[in-house]
Amino acid sequence: MIFLRRQLPLLITFVTGVLFAAQYYVPHPRSEFMLTEVTKWLQIIGGFALVLGVTSLFHIHAVKIRRKEPGWGYSLVLYAGILGTIAAGFSYSFAAGQWVNGKETINGIMTAFGWVYLNMMVPLQGSMFALLAFFIASAAYRSFRARSREAALLLIAAVIVMMGRVPLGEMLLPVSGDVTQWILNVLNAAVRRAILIGISLGAIALSLKIIFGIERAYLGGGKE
Amino acid sequence: MSFAERMLHIDRRLIFLLIGVCTLLPLLYPVGLAIKVSPEVHGVYDYIEALPEGSIFLLSMDYDPASKPELYPQAVALLRHAFRKNLRVIGMTLWLPGTGLAEQVMTKVAGEMGKVSGKDYVFLGWSPGSGSLIINMGQDLYKAFPTDYYSQPTRELAVLKGIQTLRDVNYVVSLAAGTSGIETWYLYGKDKYKFELGGGCTGVIAPGLYPLLRSGQINGLIGGMRGAAEYEVLIGQKERAVAGMDAQSATHFAIILLVILCNVFYLLIRTSPKQGEAR
Amino acid sequence: MSFEMLLGAWVATGLTLFIFTFLYQDNPLFKLAEHLYVGVSVGYTIVKTYDTVLIRLIYEPMVTQGDWSLLIPLGIGTLMLARYIPKGAWLSRIAFAFIVGVGSGLAIPRIVSSFILKQVEDTVRPLVSIVQGAPTFTYNLMDPTSNLNTIVLLIGVVSVLFYFFFSIEHTGPVRVAARTGILFLMVAFGAAFGYTVMARMSLLIGRLSDLKEYAVPQYGRASLWLGLATVVTLFLWSRRREEPPPDQQ
Repeated sequence: MIFLRRQLPLLITFVTGVLFAAQYYVPHPRSEFMLTEVTKWLQIIGGFALVLGVTSLFHIHAVKIRRKEPGWGYSLVLYAGILGTIAAGFSYSFAAGQWVNGKETINGIMTAFGWVYLNMMVPLQGSMFALLAFFIASAAYRSFRARSREAALLLIAAVIVMMGRVPLGEMLLPVSGDVTQWILNVLNAAVRRAILIGISLGAIALSLKIIFGIERAYLGGGKE
Repeated sequence: MSFAERMLHIDRRLIFLLIGVCTLLPLLYPVGLAIKVSPEVHGVYDYIEALPEGSIFLLSMDYDPASKPELYPQAVALLRHAFRKNLRVIGMTLWLPGTGLAEQVMTKVAGEMGKVSGKDYVFLGWSPGSGSLIINMGQDLYKAFPTDYYSQPTRELAVLKGIQTLRDVNYVVSLAAGTSGIETWYLYGKDKYKFELGGGCTGVIAPGLYPLLRSGQINGLIGGMRGAAEYEVLIGQKERAVAGMDAQSATHFAIILLVILCNVFYLLIRTSPKQGEAR
Repeated sequence: MSFEMLLGAWVATGLTLFIFTFLYQDNPLFKLAEHLYVGVSVGYTIVKTYDTVLIRLIYEPMVTQGDWSLLIPLGIGTLMLARYIPKGAWLSRIAFAFIVGVGSGLAIPRIVSSFILKQVEDTVRPLVSIVQGAPTFTYNLMDPTSNLNTIVLLIGVVSVLFYFFFSIEHTGPVRVAARTGILFLMVAFGAAFGYTVMARMSLLIGRLSDLKEYAVPQYGRASLWLGLATVVTLFLWSRRREEPPPDQQ
């Protein structure tokens, strides 16, 4: 039983990891067939992973409602949103003459599900993120101070790029556009390249640790 | 509290008001300043312009409604360009929340240009997996998407005739808002299946994609709403992105002013003689 | 204009304004919109996942095309859900082991090829160019492929890599390299800040463009009327919060 709970998962990780790392270098038709089939399976399994995320959200708000914690009314609104959207997604569209089945439009006719998406989800998500514009301005005013030479350099680069990427800046100071291009294509590219190489090396190290069973945090779930 | 200190602790709602006004006024009273096109955006435009009629163009709209203002205009401009060149267009998305927007933009632009689903373009929709989806498409497109978004069998569609895998696609452009975007398309797609790849992205992730642009791993990059405006200028159809550029100018200068003021007040506080101890 | 479009415009405008009320103060209108946002997003995810994964990827290929090999991923996916059964939670480890193992295996060679080898290849470009058979040093700063820029890029990449190498002490020549790296980093972060400002402002411009569109008479001047209603509601709400309770008056 210990083998099933502890060793088997590690063995599966090792075998699959080595197999698919090696597959990259083996163009044989059987190897390609295995890649095609298993990536198809991964897609399906990935779909199940979405279920996990959703159920934990349900649980948190169900507890809030049951215990009548402060703000539990809003949890009811959340549930109403979930159930209303699901109902719209599986409703019958009289205009289109068929079941919606999760489609936003049927033959060019907008369904209730499409209406909820375009008139509720899109404006809500868009507005949530539009708020950031205000907060970045407030943060820039309160904390973007040139406390040292390095901070001053950061500030100057930021101002040049902000000027160089708008028509008014390019009109008032034409050189800002050219300097911005140089900063982005040379200085910024150099830094991002170094960061990319560093992160990639780190990712490979982590993947190897996972494959060889040194890193086991991903397993989680259940007693040993 | 000195004047400089009072100014640094000003109610932030006044700053919000300033930003709101700087955004709204240019939208209501546009000026229309000239927009210079960058070489990065030219990279994508020139490649599509050079594609012969009937070439396969895959547009992956990998964003959600939060990034609509930046990437939706890019999608509209690219699709108009592709349909004008009579390319065979494949639309899809790697981001579940973006499926509705991707479908909306494809049907809207196709309808405008008189293109027919199944014959001139196909919308495949969303499928889970990102990297594994791309590999699956690279191995066998019909296995990855047995049906299109409207449940039509993909093997029977005229627009996909002669295409078996991603190797048969002439140009892929990924409009990305974050992870599962351009890097994913390169890593799991172009690296093995060798199609040409271009990118469009939000301003937040644009600087991080310059290494790929410089190494030729992507042949062009449309960055943010500015990039969308540049593309609209190139195709000669100025719309939302160009209209937003005046507001962009005003807000950028507002931020520059705020940063300068912040540093002036900070300098004043640092260089002023020390205040008395008791208040 | 159809009733659904008109209603949609008013709902979209109202929800946008509810979210923006947060700029004044956290309030019930914002909380309502915030919870609705989460609810609708989750509902959309559930519907799409059901339609795409269960119907299009599993049911249709298995039942209409007879591809029974999909029982394997179906089984593995179901194992993942065993996480919620206290006694059977260990079964989910098998599913996670499979996903993580395949994912790691697929990623390693691709990352090496794409993000290490290709990037290093572009960094170590020739420091002189051959023009009409003769070696020339090109120094056009506006051309990212010029020799001068190649040198700057090389110095940048190496010095930043040195900065992030914390296993050796930053003294002597290493300190010089690391300090150079910091200068490059500061410029890059400045550029990143500039682009982030551009991106965030674009998001606001997009929402206000929509509000401007819904202020026209065809939409019943939704933005104006709902804007007014929101301001009045906020004013009344904040007045109510400031008033002391009746027994303390």
